[in-house]
This record gives sequence, C-alpha cells and structure tokens, in this order.
Amino acid sequence: STSSVLSADKDKFAASKDSSPEGAAKRQEDGAQTPKQQLLDIIGNMKVEVSYRKKLQQLKAGENKKQAMNKLEGLDGEGSVPQGTTEDTQRGKPLNPELVKAASAVASSLPRNKKQTESELLAQLRRHEETTDKQKKGGIINIRNVISEMAVKRQSPTQRDVRISGRISLQLDEDGQRIRPERSSAVDSRSLKVGKRLNIFTKASTEPEHTLKTASSPTIWDLEFAKEVAAVTAQPPRNGFEEMIQWTKEGILWEFPIDNEVGMEDEAEFHEHIFLEKHLECFPKEGPIRHFMELVICGLSKNPYLSVKQKVEHIEWFQKYFEEKKELLQEI
Amino acid sequence: MAAGALCWALRAARQVLPSPCPRQVRSYYVDWRMLRDVKRRKTAYEYADERLRINAIRKNSILPKELQEVADKEIAALPRDSCPVRIRNRCVLTSRPRGVKRRWRLSRIIFRHFADHAQMSGVQRAMW
Repeated sequence: STSSVLSADKDKFAASKDSSPEGAAKRQEDGAQTPKQQLLDIIGNMKVEVSYRKKLQQLKAGENKKQAMNKLEGLDGEGSVPQGTTEDTQRGKPLNPELVKAASAVASSLPRNKKQTESELLAQLRRHEETTDKQKKGGIINIRNVISEMAVKRQSPTQRDVRISGRISLQLDEDGQRIRPERSSAVDSRSLKVGKRLNIFTKASTEPEHTLKTASSPTIWDLEFAKEVAAVTAQPPRNGFEEMIQWTKEGILWEFPIDNEVGMEDEAEFHEHIFLEKHLECFPKEGPIRHFMELVICGLSKNPYLSVKQKVEHIEWFQKYFEEKKELLQEI
Repeated sequence: MAAGALCWALRAARQVLPSPCPRQVRSYYVDWRMLRDVKRRKTAYEYADERLRINAIRKNSILPKELQEVADKEIAALPRDSCPVRIRNRCVLTSRPRGVKRRWRLSRIIFRHFADHAQMSGVQRAMW
C-alpha cells in the first residue's frame, strides 16, 4: 500500500509541476490544498520511524516547511521548466541558511531524485530572492528618476516678496480655511505636460458613477432613512460659533458681508423695465383707458423695486379687469 | 364656527419646526390678539396687489365715475382683514399695543430691561 501511495504522490507531484501557471494559480486556491495537504500528511507519517538526529532536523525544517511549501506553490505556478542550470551560476546573494535547510529537508522527504529536486528548489529560491531584490531596488530607481527631473530653482526677489506677502495676509474663506495664493504653473520654466509619465496616480474610473445614477428614484423608505441619518448626525452646537453657522445655513442669520440683493436676482435688461408699451397692444388705442394705462406704464417704468415679471402681471391684471367690465363700458 | 375656532386653537399652538438640534423655539403666540394680528398681516400681504390696483382705478380723474363706483364696491367686498390699516405694530415679546419702538419691535418696558442688562447691541444709557 505504501508503494501505491508513493506512486500516487509521484503522479500528483508531477502533475503539479507540469501544470501551466494559470492552472496552478487557480488550483492553488482550491485543489492544490487537498493534494498538498495529503502530501504533507504523508510526509509527516513517513517520518515517524527516523532517528533522533533526523528528528531534530525535521523539527527545524518543519517550522520552515510551511514557508517552503508556500514558496513551492508560488514557484510551481511560475514555471515548470527547470532553469536551474543557468540560474545556478548567478549567485548574487547567498540564500538564507534556514531556507536552504528547509529546501534540503523537503527534497529529502520527496520520493524523487533528491539531489535534482534540491538543486531545483534552491535555484527557484534564488530566483525568488532576486525578484524581490529587483523590486526593492526598482522602487528606489523610480524615485531617482523623479528626482533627476527636478532641478533646484532660484527664487527671484519679486517672487519672494509676493510669497512673503501672501504668507502674512491671512485671508479667511467662509469655512475659516486660509486661501492659498494660486500656484500658477506658468512660473516653472517647463510646462506640466512635458516629460514622461510617472504613473504614480491612477485615474479614477467614471463608469461606476454612471451605473449608480441609473438607479430608480429614491423610495419613501430611503428618504426616511436619510432624514433619520441627518437627525442623528446633526449634533447640537458646542459653542456660539457653531450656533451662528447653523443659523446662517437656516437663513436666520444674514451672511456677512451683507449682500443687499439676496434673492433678488433680476436678469432682465433695463429696456425691459422701461419700454413697457409693447404690453399695451391689447388695449384700445384711444379713450380714457388708454390714457390711464399709459400713466400706469409711466409709473411702473420709474419703479426700481419691482421685477419685470411683477410689472407684466400688473398690466395683465388690468387687461383682464377691463375686459370683464366691457359691457359696462359699452353702456357709458 | 366652533370648528373654525378649534382650527385656530390648533394653529395657535404652532408645532415646533422640524429642527435637528434641540433649541428653545417659541411655539405659542403670546396671546390671541397677537394671533389675530398675525392673521391680518398674512391676509394683507395676500391681497396687497389687488388692493393697490383697485385703488389705482378709484383714485383717478381720467376713468369714468361709474367704473370707479364699481371699483369701490369691489374693494369693499374684499375680506376685512386684508386692509393694512388694521395691522397694529405690537410688541413682539409681550404683545403690548402701545409704547412700541418700531426699530426693535419691542415695548418700552422690555426694551429698558434688555438695555440695562446689556443685551441690546449698541444701546447705552444717555448722558449728556
């Protein structure tokens, strides 16, 4: 039965080694666990009858085994082609002795050719180390690229004065935050768009926003929930300033500096206020009514407090009134 | 009539505005006379334009007199509370009809009370 188990292990290991990286990536999550788990169990069982020395090695290796097995799983996914012959020569950095011990222990526990497996494992470990080193150095290199592009710029005295004056003047926004003087990009000798991209910032995708907007209109429950949330989050003001802020938001307190024309935006031009004769087309051209309406228009044109809409409403009311009283007027 | 009185009773006890933070809110008018004054102000505001136009027809030497008489009858037919003459500038806090300074909308007694406690901005005891 042990031989059959061993052969089963062999097949599983071979299959795991020869698989493609994509398949391994998938299997690592689901199926790789169970055969690897089985492997580990079998290895554990196999090592019951060994000597004390080997037991010590096992204990040491056992702690690192999981690390090694995880690395194995990761490395199996990378490539099954043994590149050990070429990579063996490249020994930039000596490997961690513990990892070496773990690799040897794992190689010894596996049923295949021990030396070959050990060399392959070591090669893969070395490759892993190299890639991590490259990534670490790569980060530094990118920053060096960035710094090389930048150059120390000498401030002209005018710009220095401007900046100092800007620092001294405390301009407060509505929220009490300092207004920063605008940093114009034209100050720099080179523009913002020149130079290779550093890809530090990723563009936020706009697609999810569109999908959210297509949702149906908020239900009553949503409105109630929103009201509840607003009621809970709106804490009572801690001091007089917050109270005044709240009053300003509600409209009880005026906004300073006081704007006399709040809520009175009139986009009409002056000629619409003054030349109101075009509204008099529905009236008779002669007679006392026309005289009366011309006086009305004269008065309205001189009135700066009404909006054009209100003036037109006045004239229309008179028009309606006189139309209703037409029979009466005919008798006269 | 009883139903109308009940309605007005309910409206006298104005409900607290839905404000998130608990704050002292005046939810009752001081007395019924103040309430009636408030009613009069509201109707006067609603009918202000109409009254202005009808008066423009009435106080006129150009239009025929028959028209002006008709306008007289129309303006008399409007609700009595709509004329601005019936509005009385009462004190805002005590509803006192007399001794009210227009700038502060307060009666002389509470004006003096607040001024002495330094709660009126820019108001000082006169001394010269």
